[in-house]
Amino acid sequence: MAKGVLVDLTKCIGCKGCQTACKQWNDLPATIPDFDNNLTYPADTDAYNYTTVLHRVVEKEDGQETLRFAKRQCMHCQEPTCVTVCFSRALVKSPEGAIVYDEEKCVGCRYCIIACPFQVPKYEWNDALKPVVSKCQFCFDPRGKHDRIGHGMEPACVNACPSRALKFGDRDELLKEARQRISSDSKYVNHIYGEKEAGGTNWLYISDVPFEKLGFRTDVSQTPLPYYVHDYLKWTPTVFLGGGALFAALHFYTKRRNEVARAVEKEEVAE
Amino acid sequence: MAGLAASFGRGAMTNHFNDYINTDVFLVIGSNSAETHPMAMKWINEARNKKGAKLIVVDPRLTKTAAHADIFVRHRPGTDIPFLLGIMNYAIENELYHHEYLVKYTNASYIVKPEFGFKDGLFSGAKLDNGVFTYDKNTWQFEDDGKTIKKDPTLQHPNCVFQLLKKHVSRYDIKTVSEITGVPEKVYRKVCETFAATGARDKSGNIIYAMGITQHTYGTQNVRAIAMLQLLLGNIGKPGGGVNAQRGESNVQGSTDLAMLSHLLPGYLGVPNATKHTNLQDYIEKETPASGYWKNKPKFLVSLLKAFYGDNATKENDFCFDYLPKVDGRDHSHMGFFQDMYDGKVKGLIAWGQNPAVGGPGAAFEREAMKKLDWMVVVDLFETETAAFWHAPNVDPGEVQTECFLLPAAFSFEKEGTVTNSGRWIQYRYKAVNPPGEAKSDTWIADRLFKEIRRLYREQGGAFPEPILAMDWNYDKPGHEEPDIAKIALEINGYRVGENRALDSFGKLKDDGSTACGMWIYTGYWAVDQELGVPNCQRRSTEDSGLGTYLKWAFSWPLNRRILYNRCSADEHGKPWDESRALFRWQDGRWVGHDVPDFNAKVVPEVSAETPFIMLPKGHGRLFANNLVDGPFPEHYEPMESPVTNRLSKQQNTPCAAVFKGQWADLAKVGDAKYPYVATTHRVVEHYQSGAVTRNNPSLVEVCPWMYVSISEELAREKGIRPGDEVWIETARGRIKALAQVSPVVKPLKVNGKKVEVVGLPWHWGYQGIAMGATANDLTPAVGDGNTKIPEYKAFLCNIRKVQGV
Repeated sequence: MAKGVLVDLTKCIGCKGCQTACKQWNDLPATIPDFDNNLTYPADTDAYNYTTVLHRVVEKEDGQETLRFAKRQCMHCQEPTCVTVCFSRALVKSPEGAIVYDEEKCVGCRYCIIACPFQVPKYEWNDALKPVVSKCQFCFDPRGKHDRIGHGMEPACVNACPSRALKFGDRDELLKEARQRISSDSKYVNHIYGEKEAGGTNWLYISDVPFEKLGFRTDVSQTPLPYYVHDYLKWTPTVFLGGGALFAALHFYTKRRNEVARAVEKEEVAE
Repeated sequence: MAGLAASFGRGAMTNHFNDYINTDVFLVIGSNSAETHPMAMKWINEARNKKGAKLIVVDPRLTKTAAHADIFVRHRPGTDIPFLLGIMNYAIENELYHHEYLVKYTNASYIVKPEFGFKDGLFSGAKLDNGVFTYDKNTWQFEDDGKTIKKDPTLQHPNCVFQLLKKHVSRYDIKTVSEITGVPEKVYRKVCETFAATGARDKSGNIIYAMGITQHTYGTQNVRAIAMLQLLLGNIGKPGGGVNAQRGESNVQGSTDLAMLSHLLPGYLGVPNATKHTNLQDYIEKETPASGYWKNKPKFLVSLLKAFYGDNATKENDFCFDYLPKVDGRDHSHMGFFQDMYDGKVKGLIAWGQNPAVGGPGAAFEREAMKKLDWMVVVDLFETETAAFWHAPNVDPGEVQTECFLLPAAFSFEKEGTVTNSGRWIQYRYKAVNPPGEAKSDTWIADRLFKEIRRLYREQGGAFPEPILAMDWNYDKPGHEEPDIAKIALEINGYRVGENRALDSFGKLKDDGSTACGMWIYTGYWAVDQELGVPNCQRRSTEDSGLGTYLKWAFSWPLNRRILYNRCSADEHGKPWDESRALFRWQDGRWVGHDVPDFNAKVVPEVSAETPFIMLPKGHGRLFANNLVDGPFPEHYEPMESPVTNRLSKQQNTPCAAVFKGQWADLAKVGDAKYPYVATTHRVVEHYQSGAVTRNNPSLVEVCPWMYVSISEELAREKGIRPGDEVWIETARGRIKALAQVSPVVKPLKVNGKKVEVVGLPWHWGYQGIAMGATANDLTPAVGDGNTKIPEYKAFLCNIRKVQGV
């Protein structure tokens, strides 16, 4: 059963408790982000922030401005493109629906960063020795020390939320609840973000402000993206391994040829 | 708090956070709950989501609370009184007030002396002696026949409080209020309609405020205006109603209760005055009212003296009354104290968990004053700006002669004890982790400090060693380094001398020396709950009877009463105003309900209805209060620095403001062209107070690293300022630099037909910690409220200028 989180933006008060809880739970180092006019710090997810709370000024129907806050992190797609493009299997989908990254397996190709329809994963550019890809793990780390949902607990962010804007549960149940909230209160826009985006995500959002006004990508295809790439990318291992074999063969051929040439030279000198 | 005590008898939030679920309409004014009290916001949103409660937010800035409002009103900083009096005027004109409640439970029917008057912005009795303004309150008294006050229950007598109030607020019509506050008439009318509708007997309106209301030269009167509006609409004592003062720190209610104020002893007993109270009898005779619950004051004071001085306190020696510190009529509040320090009259300072180098008004002045000290001790978690004042930027340490000590203190999770929240709940907290390094709990530090001082007095003598040597101080826990919290708690709670059991009620305290009690209002908090087997403040039962009172969760002072003045939740005969929120009901000859009665439950309802505000001598809520220095009714005055003249009278500022000396009390002229913009200070969710803790915490620094100033898009265009530009904020007292946030968070207002720009400044930054930034309080003026001396942080004038050549 896929787990998910329902984010009700009408309840979020922008306290950033989720963001700090995430940082503490995952032992992520803190940085000093640049000034941001919206007071979103950092302005987007980055190498050391799996999540950030976007602060946006939006115009209401009556023309008056107001503020809305939206927690941003990996959406945990049901059909994750990042997993599809990851030929080293550093990214996998857990049975709970968490898209989990294993830095030991990562070769640093960064295909996932390019492939993500939501531009979430970030790269640790400033680590020259062993840079890793950084994104929300859904507090799934059953063999490590950062696990929560593998042990039956809700994610750290949900646990910290004082305004009940975040709710953790089975995705199906959360979808029902989202529909029920939308139908029982006219303030909501009739859109569950994540229900269909990118073929469906385990993080779901409901809002009283159209999502495009909050900077959410609403041009994301509703067809699972791996369907587009699968036919091509399934050849990646073949291409990679085949290419590798070809280059290895070329390498040995060249090496041998040079060795033969040097031996011939020697013989010629000796003569 | 002074405004609440003057109106209702106690200086505390009337209801509590969980009770917010019972509210129909919230009026949040001068408070940003979403950022400063996120848990309070949770209950506000519960009420909105579950039963469609309405939220009105009144604030100069589009705050995170305002983001959730059904009606958001931008008003000019410092114009809360016209805003609130205008709602009263609307309710009276449209007869939306709660008539029965007014007649029975407030002093609306009292008849005021015919000499009372109000003219040109001043009440009768105004006097000016040697440049000092005071009111002679003789004309503010009620007419009586020698024994009882004359009343007119029909509320028609021209000099009854209701008619005087009606006349007073009639000048605050919608148009006038709109012109003063900058709120468009249409929006203001909607606020009036929505909130005044809670005057219906089955509706509950809740007013929530915080520092945006109190930090003005007329802060006490701002609170009065709120209290009066709630009395007028019959919203006090009801579930979902009340005046809910959300306090500025997690335990500030507890520290106020325990007298962290210069004019109080624990439990709101006034500090004796050296000339007025020469002995105990003197104090008792002059300070004990003839009626109301405060007539028990001698019992509380004698029990306090027994707690302080133990066996040394006897009837023969006035229970050591002479050993109590006395005040001398001078101002010992924060600003008065720093003024004395600057004048060289104060030699030493212990700054214990306080950081005045960032938090004080005219903070730069306070740092100057610290240089005059011989010694300073700072007890804190980090080296705060106060601890580091001697090596602050632009200070030459070689020129500071002050000897400085820094004692590392434990954080709240590194020690155990109780914390009292805004809603008066005393909740026990256990230690989660040990403090790092040499850091110690506050009780450890206080205990060792006292013992060492006592040793020195004992061995070396001194000017007046007796009060120290006579002190009863036995909190040791054998085998432990930490003092015994249980012993301290027992002493605060109160006990019979010779017994070791906590009393369950302050009704059992005596004035003959047979009881000891460190703070009478907490009595019962340490008594053991027989059913749960733990002291009351350690209870954690989430059982509830339906109205969110949670009587078995912790302990609420006084006597576990959750809603104060709760006699007012039902009518004279004990019938609840609203059946769906029946806190109490008189049924079959007794009271049944969901709370602990804040009234005499042993008498018939018609008798307890005579004095529902038991702490006040006459027992009635005060629409007209004659015990404050600056007037029985609130009146609109401009902040000490204002862009406009007072639209209502010739009296520009409150005549009773406390104004201090020196450069830090320098003020801009009215409408000063050099300082055209109105500035207000505020907090952000990421930081706490002066930032002493949060600016040293990397993950909190990361979520809000930069000091900034919010300016409107219009002002930014006019000044050529782009987002993130460094700007100067200049006032008559000094200037600071900050990064510009250009945003509709603030917008220009139209005041008296003139455009007024508003500027917002968070005040959390200083020169220490990981994230450093300019201190907003270097700009705030050293002027304060006449009653409480609270500084005017929330409204002053400034100029904004782009920093050139960056």
